[in-house]
Amino acid sequence: MSSQDGNAATASPLLGLLRRKNVLAGLFFIGVAVFGLWLSRNYSIGTATRMGTGYVPRLLLWLLLVLGGGVLVQGLRAAREDMFPQPGGILRFWPLVAVTLAMVAFGLALERLGLVIAVALLLGIGSLAERNLRLWETVAATVLLILLSWLIFILGLGLAIPLWPVW
Amino acid sequence: MELLDNLYIGLGVALQPMNLLFALIGCLIGTLIGVLPGIGPIATIAMLLPLTFHVEPTAGLIMLAGIFYGAQYGGSTTAILVNLPGETSSVVTCIDGHQMARQGRAGAALAIAALGSFFAGTVATMVIVLFAPPLAKIGASFGAPEYFSLMVLGLIAAVVLAHGSVLKAIAMIVLGLLLGLVGTDGNSGGTRFTFGINELTDGLDFAVMAIGVFGLGEIISNLMQPSAERSVLTQKITSLWPTRDDFRRAWPAVLRGTALGSILGILPGGGAALSSFAAYVLEKKVSKTPSQFGKGAVEGVAGPESANNAGAQTSFIPMLTLGLPGNAVMALMIGAMTIHGIQPGPQVMTERPALFWGMIASMWVGNLMLVIINLPLIGVWVQLLKLPYRFLYLCILLFCAIGVYTISNSASAVMIAAFFGVFGYMFARLECEPAPMVLGFVLGPLMEENLRKAMTVSSGDPMIFFQRPISLVLLILATVLLIIVAMPNIRSKREEAFQEG
Repeated sequence: MSSQDGNAATASPLLGLLRRKNVLAGLFFIGVAVFGLWLSRNYSIGTATRMGTGYVPRLLLWLLLVLGGGVLVQGLRAAREDMFPQPGGILRFWPLVAVTLAMVAFGLALERLGLVIAVALLLGIGSLAERNLRLWETVAATVLLILLSWLIFILGLGLAIPLWPVW
Repeated sequence: MELLDNLYIGLGVALQPMNLLFALIGCLIGTLIGVLPGIGPIATIAMLLPLTFHVEPTAGLIMLAGIFYGAQYGGSTTAILVNLPGETSSVVTCIDGHQMARQGRAGAALAIAALGSFFAGTVATMVIVLFAPPLAKIGASFGAPEYFSLMVLGLIAAVVLAHGSVLKAIAMIVLGLLLGLVGTDGNSGGTRFTFGINELTDGLDFAVMAIGVFGLGEIISNLMQPSAERSVLTQKITSLWPTRDDFRRAWPAVLRGTALGSILGILPGGGAALSSFAAYVLEKKVSKTPSQFGKGAVEGVAGPESANNAGAQTSFIPMLTLGLPGNAVMALMIGAMTIHGIQPGPQVMTERPALFWGMIASMWVGNLMLVIINLPLIGVWVQLLKLPYRFLYLCILLFCAIGVYTISNSASAVMIAAFFGVFGYMFARLECEPAPMVLGFVLGPLMEENLRKAMTVSSGDPMIFFQRPISLVLLILATVLLIIVAMPNIRSKREEAFQEG
């Protein structure tokens, strides 16, 4: 990708703040803490002597909330800060999307479509993450790795994974 | 002599053909991933955890340990020949090691690194033999409050010695502690944070999370970066034998590196990477000719390489004796033990002496293997460096995917791993170190249990942690560490130490 990671000034100052690593990290921790506190709203707390399900988790979530706030403040107060690279569209995050999709496809396919198709899907989608994709090399690698995984996992370790689709 | 008896038991176990084979496999895999940049011991051990289900626990743990210290050997090869750190612990080896290679002395640099590492490994094994039993004895006398405070100290120390923002690292620990609590609460029977996913009622699986964060996260981060040029040094390695002068200058550095690494390895948060950085700084300080550093000073290879191997090995001490992981690899080792139904802690040594001493003895055996397989095989490892990442990552991806599935034969585990892969990438991008999170994850359930026990004993009075002398001392130490790291001038020194080079 030719889009640069430079610290060019962003159009809106708010967006500029949001690109600071510590601001984002702080917001992440706060987000997790708030979400967790909401999830655990009905967990019994109990007493210090007889702690309920929610005692320790809620204690930790409040701590995380405070720490997240601290990180956020650090990010906002820093004069110059490490910037998160300019988004530059979904293309920048393509490897992230491809690898995640590949795993999901593998998970969905394995038990029904069998090892061969699942691995082909995993490596097929996964190889899209690489920018300079070479088709024949990828096909060759996929065939080789399917063979290897059959040898190691089904023949060698005797895992109960179907090789071909189960009807 | 009890000491010799223990070593005898250990060697008997380590020399069994099966265990020798697994030590060799571990050392080979360790060297391989050490040589290859872009994949480290944490991701590898996480990926291979599921495979150890199928073997005997001793053999499995011996193999995993071999991967860790084998990676320290392999990392130096890449650092010297390609000027790229194969591992973080060999970052400083690049500086002088590669310069030596450019002067046509690659063979000497590699030999010094390997021999220094072997010496350090031997000493570190002795350190473990000497210090493990007394530490385990102390650990065995601990009650719930002491254990809780010890874990607090361990987690704080891990933050202080790790690099990056302290506040973020503590937040990551808390996040890890929380993730460790996912699942059914053993005490009250209620479920927590399971989102109605069946898979999660037994808790979030350690290996699934680790493979996601370290394995997948690493692939994504690597693919996002423009690929770095790798220029493998093509000139032939003529002589592996260092000169007399090399030896004269290297051996004091090896001794200093070994001592420093052994000490730093034991500390929570210490281990290989920190040890090698510290050793480089030390060598530069004590040298009469510091100007030679960066221009191929043999001390700059000998010191850090000995230190990282010593540190890698002594970091097993708190894990084996107290069940306290000092770094992410040790957290994975604890995960491996738990998978096999071994509760890590001081009782391992008394209840499973064969496993305990076998593992320790295998480290020395493994170090010997590494010297033997490494020096003659350097040519082979260098060839492997030509393997392009676009092929390598497909192999890693496949291993992650099948590995995760085999943990519990469940497709939802694959999804959960994919989810954590996204987090792993995000942590790398936001400079949130995932290692403290893993430590927190491992310790979360233990801390809750000990906190509960302690509070039941004291009928809800938190003062119990301050009334027990050992617990009080541990907590004071933790506080002192936190205060020290919060002081601005020390903080900048700490940054400096990590950026040396």
